[in-house]
Amino acid sequence: MSDPIIRFDNVTFGYSGTEVHALESISLEIQPGEYVAILGLNGAGKTTLGLCVNGVIPIMLGGNLEGTVTVDGLNVGDYPVREMAKIVGMVFDNPEFQMSQMSAGEEVALGLENAGIPYEEMKRIIPETLALVGLAGFEERSPLGLSGGQQQRLAIAAVLAMNPKILIMDEPTSNLDPIGKQEVFDMAAKLNRENGMTVLVIEHEVEVMAKYADRVIVMDGGRIVMNGTPQEIFGQVDALAELKLRVPESAEVASILKSRGMWNGPIPITTEPAIAAVNELLGAKS
Amino acid sequence: MTSTDSTVERGARAIDVSDAHYVYPTGHVVALGGVDLHVEHGEILGIIGQNGSGKTTLTKLFNGLLKPTSGTVVVNGVDTSGHTVQQMAAHVGYVFQNPNHQLFARSVEAELEFGPRNIGVPEEEIKERVADAIEFFGLADVAEEHPYRVSFPIRKLVGIASIVTMRPSILIFDEPSTGQDHHTTKIINDLMRRLREQGTTVVCVSHDMPLLADVVERVVVMKDTMIIADASPREVFADKALMARTNLQAPQSTEIALKTVVPRGGPIALTPHELADDISARLAGKATAPQQTVR
Amino acid sequence: MSMQAALPVALIPGNSFIHKVNPITKIVWVIGYIVLAFSTQNIYILYGMALFAFLLAPLAGVTKPLLKGALILVPIGSSLLALQIIAPAVEQPWTPVASLGGFTIYGDGLYYGLVLLGRIVASLLIALVMVMTTHPSDLFTSLAKLKMPYTLNFMLAMTLQLIPVFQREVGIIMSAQKSRGMKGSGFAAVLPSFVPVFVGAIERVQQLSISLESRGFGSDGMKTSFRQVRSRPSDWIIGIVGAAIFIGLSIISIMKGLWSLAHVIVFPGTFVLWLFIIAAATFAGVIIVTLIYAFKK
Repeated sequence: MSDPIIRFDNVTFGYSGTEVHALESISLEIQPGEYVAILGLNGAGKTTLGLCVNGVIPIMLGGNLEGTVTVDGLNVGDYPVREMAKIVGMVFDNPEFQMSQMSAGEEVALGLENAGIPYEEMKRIIPETLALVGLAGFEERSPLGLSGGQQQRLAIAAVLAMNPKILIMDEPTSNLDPIGKQEVFDMAAKLNRENGMTVLVIEHEVEVMAKYADRVIVMDGGRIVMNGTPQEIFGQVDALAELKLRVPESAEVASILKSRGMWNGPIPITTEPAIAAVNELLGAKS
Repeated sequence: MTSTDSTVERGARAIDVSDAHYVYPTGHVVALGGVDLHVEHGEILGIIGQNGSGKTTLTKLFNGLLKPTSGTVVVNGVDTSGHTVQQMAAHVGYVFQNPNHQLFARSVEAELEFGPRNIGVPEEEIKERVADAIEFFGLADVAEEHPYRVSFPIRKLVGIASIVTMRPSILIFDEPSTGQDHHTTKIINDLMRRLREQGTTVVCVSHDMPLLADVVERVVVMKDTMIIADASPREVFADKALMARTNLQAPQSTEIALKTVVPRGGPIALTPHELADDISARLAGKATAPQQTVR
Repeated sequence: MSMQAALPVALIPGNSFIHKVNPITKIVWVIGYIVLAFSTQNIYILYGMALFAFLLAPLAGVTKPLLKGALILVPIGSSLLALQIIAPAVEQPWTPVASLGGFTIYGDGLYYGLVLLGRIVASLLIALVMVMTTHPSDLFTSLAKLKMPYTLNFMLAMTLQLIPVFQREVGIIMSAQKSRGMKGSGFAAVLPSFVPVFVGAIERVQQLSISLESRGFGSDGMKTSFRQVRSRPSDWIIGIVGAAIFIGLSIISIMKGLWSLAHVIVFPGTFVLWLFIIAAATFAGVIIVTLIYAFKK
């Protein structure tokens, strides 16, 4: 196994002005190319964890940080956020809050201009990046005139232009309609599989996590309380219920049947395996 | 807590939308292209569809935030065209998606007093209603807090409570689960159900199909400024062609049921519990599972 | 739902010759217009400038929006003329040309009213033509070339971008509060509408600053620009010719003591009288319509 691209070593963090720790003794390793989903209630520390990876914590948002966060071999906190931007791209829940330019092309260009990339190279990178997120030919469109899904993909393009190795998405689809959600997650999955991008996504929708993620991390009260493959995590229906979290409906159905002594196989976490297993179960009966 | 005090004309429906069109004043953009919708008192219904399908425009007609460019909207027997939003507020409560768009007062309590005071409820009764709402929503611990100092999930509840204290007979929820975790979504579901039990008509606009499958008894499907389906959630979510046409996805339990229990003559499940019961019943040897009791 | 363009004055996309003129050249012209307009009292020059600016509109295909934007001149112009005719803003002696009830009507009043109006009309029209034919990004790129500090430039561009966003935000908040029975106007509406706007603005700025920082904003190194604004020989020629005309006329005008023709042009008394009545009635009409509209809301 290669070196982890993200590594938290016993990290504890509290925002300034509060007594409570937003993060409590976090130790975590994420390998290059992994697709990791973070699950937890509002206030569990998910966003704080994400902000530690690109250095917004501790550099922009003050507070008391103990332990070390290492990203791609660099000690976060030693480098300004704009330097970390070359490694970590981050998008947030409200795409509109991330738009600052008059046209989609300029939105993508912003990071490149700041990095001093020559015009000739920008002319090549910008259309490529827009095409990568499915917005080919959108250079002259106004960001504010795009649909939510398109805006969020533009926000992603704007950070991808910097060619980061890690993409962090904080509830990227909470403001989007079902089409917009699908567009964003399909695109992130493609970046992960085809470009080997490490993806870290904070999300509430467990069906989406079960479908895309390699690993699920469950947070509660600033701690990591569960960490495993979606199969391992979503199989533990009762443990998650205790944390007031839910599992994909397929897993819930199987778990109810299991409690009645009617289900013996593994717990299905996505639709297709659930259908196959239920059909087998019902077929065996008749 | 009595559920409502808005005067309702005898025999009038909760909502009567007849051939309503809406065209934006700025241009030629049609937001609603001839919509008919009739809602009885005490119904609980969901409105679904992609952004831009006209859902929000339709619900804004209910309390007069928008007036139809042609056609009529009659709510509790009152034609919205002759009334201001403020006048309609006594009939229709509108819970906006983002609580930050409505909260401003110095305390949660003051926030809950704002609406009823605006519509002329006597001071004494306001106190009573606020106390009721604080209990109903479980806000006793934060009643004195500033609304912006409470957590986002609690803020959402404060936003809903600040509308409920006006005791409208019709309540509209715009995307109540946006940005909320499972736990808060469950609380909101429960609130909608309890309000409905008290006789409030509940309209919920949402992309969250499991939420709707759990609480509503009627689903209105919108596409391209029109209502293209209006039926029970079971019928709507089981209609694969309709779901595909609107790019919507039925709850996972329904999708599984459609390919397992339903082909064997079983019912269409909406929730994991229903599906598990259906499967159990078949395994136990019964021909058909008993239909789930309607909440 | 996509957003409608909310600004009354904005770029009207096009491909005309005037659209293609370098923004710096346009800035030179606008500044030249303003300088000349305020260094002369010659109404031939002033209205010649106004006419020239107006004739640019059809060339750029912006006549209709230009007329819409120029509507603001109706209340300004009518009030200005009406007031100047009865109370000129120049030293006495004034030349009375007619009387209406208790008012004395002055010929020089009309002249100076026309001068003031001419300055405003000429400057406004050329500025509108420029704004309507220049992509804001090109304008800011050009300003950056003129060594305007990057952050200041960015803030200006950002403000322009945020205006429609905030307009919409205010709309949502007003809707939310009206739905709670809030009266639409008056002191009672101040807190309920402003607190959420303010809080939303802070949240937006915080989020945006993290988002911008995460894209390398604030780097010290050399910055490059994606928007390339070319300057062609024609841009130089137009700019230099314009500058020469404006500077030349300004100097001549100042040397001639602002070149006022107040005593050369004599307006017939009845003409001035009728103009006063029309201007005063127009202004009163504008006020009444505004009041009715405000109360209806």
